[in-house]
Amino acid sequence: MGERVYLFKGFERFWHWTQAALILFLMLSGFEIHGSYTLFGFEKAVACHNFAAWSLVGLWIFALFWHLTTGEWRHYIPTTEKVLLVAKYYSSGIFRNEPHPFKPSALNKHNPLQRLTYLAVLLLVSPLLWITGWLYLFHGDWNAWGLADLPLAPVAIGHTIGAFLMLAFFVSHLYLVTTGPTMTSQIKAMITGWEEI
Amino acid sequence: MKFHRLVLAGRFCLLALTSLLMTSSPAIGDAKPLKLSTTADHSKYKELQREFSSAPEVTKACLACHTEAAGQIHRTKHWRWEYLNPVSGQKLGKKTILNNFCISVASNYSACTSCHIGYGWKDASFDFTSEENVDCLVCHDTTGIYKKPPGLAGNPVLKDTELPPGSGKIVKGIDIAKVAQKVGKSSRDTCGSCHFFGGGGDGVKHGDLDSSLAAPVRELDVHMDATGLDFTCASCHKTSSHDVAGSRYTPTAMDKEGVHIRGKEDKSNPATCVSCHDNAPHKKEARLNQHASKLACQTCHIPEFARGGVATKMQWDWSTAGERDAEGKQIVRKDEKGRIIYESRKGSFVLGENVKPEYLWFNGDVRYTLESDKIENADGIVRINSLGGRPDDGKSLIWPVKVFRGAQPYDPVNKILLKPHTAGNDDTGYWKNLVWDKAIATGMRDAGLPFSGQVGFVKTEMFWPITHMVAPKEKALGCGECHRDNGRLAGVTGVYLPGRDASKLVDTLGWGLVLLAAVGSLGHGLMRLLSRRKPQGGDMKNG
Amino acid sequence: MKSASSLSAAVLLALLGSSLSANAYDADWKRGRIYYRSVCTSCHVAMPIGTVNPSAKTMAEWASYLQADKHAKGKDTVKQYLSKSYRASIKSANKAAEKFADVPDQELFDDLKAFVTKGAKDGDTPATCS
Repeated sequence: MGERVYLFKGFERFWHWTQAALILFLMLSGFEIHGSYTLFGFEKAVACHNFAAWSLVGLWIFALFWHLTTGEWRHYIPTTEKVLLVAKYYSSGIFRNEPHPFKPSALNKHNPLQRLTYLAVLLLVSPLLWITGWLYLFHGDWNAWGLADLPLAPVAIGHTIGAFLMLAFFVSHLYLVTTGPTMTSQIKAMITGWEEI
Repeated sequence: MKFHRLVLAGRFCLLALTSLLMTSSPAIGDAKPLKLSTTADHSKYKELQREFSSAPEVTKACLACHTEAAGQIHRTKHWRWEYLNPVSGQKLGKKTILNNFCISVASNYSACTSCHIGYGWKDASFDFTSEENVDCLVCHDTTGIYKKPPGLAGNPVLKDTELPPGSGKIVKGIDIAKVAQKVGKSSRDTCGSCHFFGGGGDGVKHGDLDSSLAAPVRELDVHMDATGLDFTCASCHKTSSHDVAGSRYTPTAMDKEGVHIRGKEDKSNPATCVSCHDNAPHKKEARLNQHASKLACQTCHIPEFARGGVATKMQWDWSTAGERDAEGKQIVRKDEKGRIIYESRKGSFVLGENVKPEYLWFNGDVRYTLESDKIENADGIVRINSLGGRPDDGKSLIWPVKVFRGAQPYDPVNKILLKPHTAGNDDTGYWKNLVWDKAIATGMRDAGLPFSGQVGFVKTEMFWPITHMVAPKEKALGCGECHRDNGRLAGVTGVYLPGRDASKLVDTLGWGLVLLAAVGSLGHGLMRLLSRRKPQGGDMKNG
Repeated sequence: MKSASSLSAAVLLALLGSSLSANAYDADWKRGRIYYRSVCTSCHVAMPIGTVNPSAKTMAEWASYLQADKHAKGKDTVKQYLSKSYRASIKSANKAAEKFADVPDQELFDDLKAFVTKGAKDGDTPATCS
């Protein structure tokens, strides 16, 4: 114990937390727009949701640039190496205090299950939310875009499906954060950048 | 700056233009005082500086100069009270249709025709080709003193008269020469003298038209605002050859024609919102323009009707009419605000102020239940008029309507709606005698319709699209009025409303998935916690 | 050019100013109605006296009331509330005062008189507040 590795750089941590806050806020306002509860009131919720959405667009432009220029995008390349071992660890080893079969490093900071999960979020959930969200955002321009005959229902329902998937990911993510060497070691890593191994 | 430019244009021009710019009417130099609102001061015409012994005499004087006016009037609905719907082929117009207010004009001409733009229509024999019986003054009066009391077949009272005869009430005669000398353009007051009072009283019929619109504040109607835009009715209901545009028989539900521009030939209805505002009027929020592909402007911009302090009738039940008090006299009951809610001669009423409209898809197609139409389901609700419309027909928008509900007489044997003789100081008029079969026998005979002698009552509904009392934009409906459960559009299908609509399947699966993630996490965590309790190694202290 | 234009403007204004001759003014009862409702009524509703309907007085009573010109039991005058200076003082909050800001005092007085006379108890169309 006591070994530490610098996993998350400054921008990465800023990106993570800002994105976390925005997504949390988008879910909060989004499910109100969906009609699940009343919090801000519909009109304000829409305004907040749109503002947060645009902020996320801005953030993503920076994040995309950062990932491409630094080569950090490689952390999301899927691999099957050790994937069964990691799965076995979470389903049984973790209860027997077995060591984690994967040691993160600056060059390889996500375990194979994380790689797969994040890639799934990136390739399935995000596009669903982004495409439907973009259409939703520009509902006023559908006629000009030649989409006059597109009904709102499939777009809205698609966006809702994306939101549920994101919420389910969010819940699991919150829990899995606690499965590091200690309950708080992973969250500390995302705050300070340093993870204990 | 204004002066500077004008001087460049020439000194004479300056004089002329400046006098035009003045809202008041001061004269230039020694010139006489000048009216700038018209080129003809009718008080200066010799033809009008005389005594008139009857109203048609005034008309003759008008026609001496305005030679084509009566002929133009003769072609209009205002004169004929007849209208052939070109789409449905239905023969409509006040002369023929029934409604669920005072029911029918037939056999009640003298009372009803106080709102006819003519003189002397007291029975079916009225001469519709008569020019001198055209009433110019009812639309062109500016004095506000011209009145046509009910019961006189559209004639005004020129000498003090007891009305109704024997009542002891004196109606003052009007100075018709003064009215004639001061004629001008139509106004909210002149149109309103009939249209504010339809259905037998102020605000009764429409809900969005009542006397509060004579000189309204901005909050009541942003266009007619007396201290602001000050629109008259004709500002929107642009009139040509005396034929007033805009019709309840063939309304324009969706206007695809866009704005009316000078120089462009426009055959479309000039009284729509779109004819001035176009189809994408929201400059800041494109989202709202998209709303306009499903919603009539009126839906958001008229949050409530009957907002001017005048109540409108919402229900009228003729079946309760006919009660008498212990002395056998007719009864009038009022509510706590002093408004009549029961009359022996008319039945019971429900009134409403600041009423939220009902909403439905409407494509402009209006069908009436005519005097000849069979009532097959007498236990159901008979629609006096039905508004056509579907979410997917490409012609419909969601419209606000006043739905006027009532119960009125019908013939259970012949299965038709009945036309009773109501007004009239005679042996059969219902309002005097309170006897249905006599009143109906007269009414149906005068209308040339069969009557079995049996009288039942059937529930009716009539639909009135709401289009006046447009609120200022800051008072338009907020999003949350519709985007929620049980909002204003609760009953309107065919459109997905975020906040109101959701896919039940997606919601069930979605929340199920989230729950699964939460329960899974909790279970996993609990197992970790339990397994860590067993002393197995030093690392445990970290947990 | 500029001096010529301002000179002609001045001449014109002088002409306009002197042209308000003594010819009988044709009172506009509709303008009186707007001013009555927007200024008189809106203030009276807030005051202890409550609303004052044109139909509360006969034509003769209105005539003598306006002739005497005693408002609030003689504390001030009716004309004062129709004056240009009063209109100017309330026009930021009152659209009728703003709209009729430049109407000569006597014209507005005649307009108001025409409205209350028409709406008087025994007038052509007795008017209550609404």
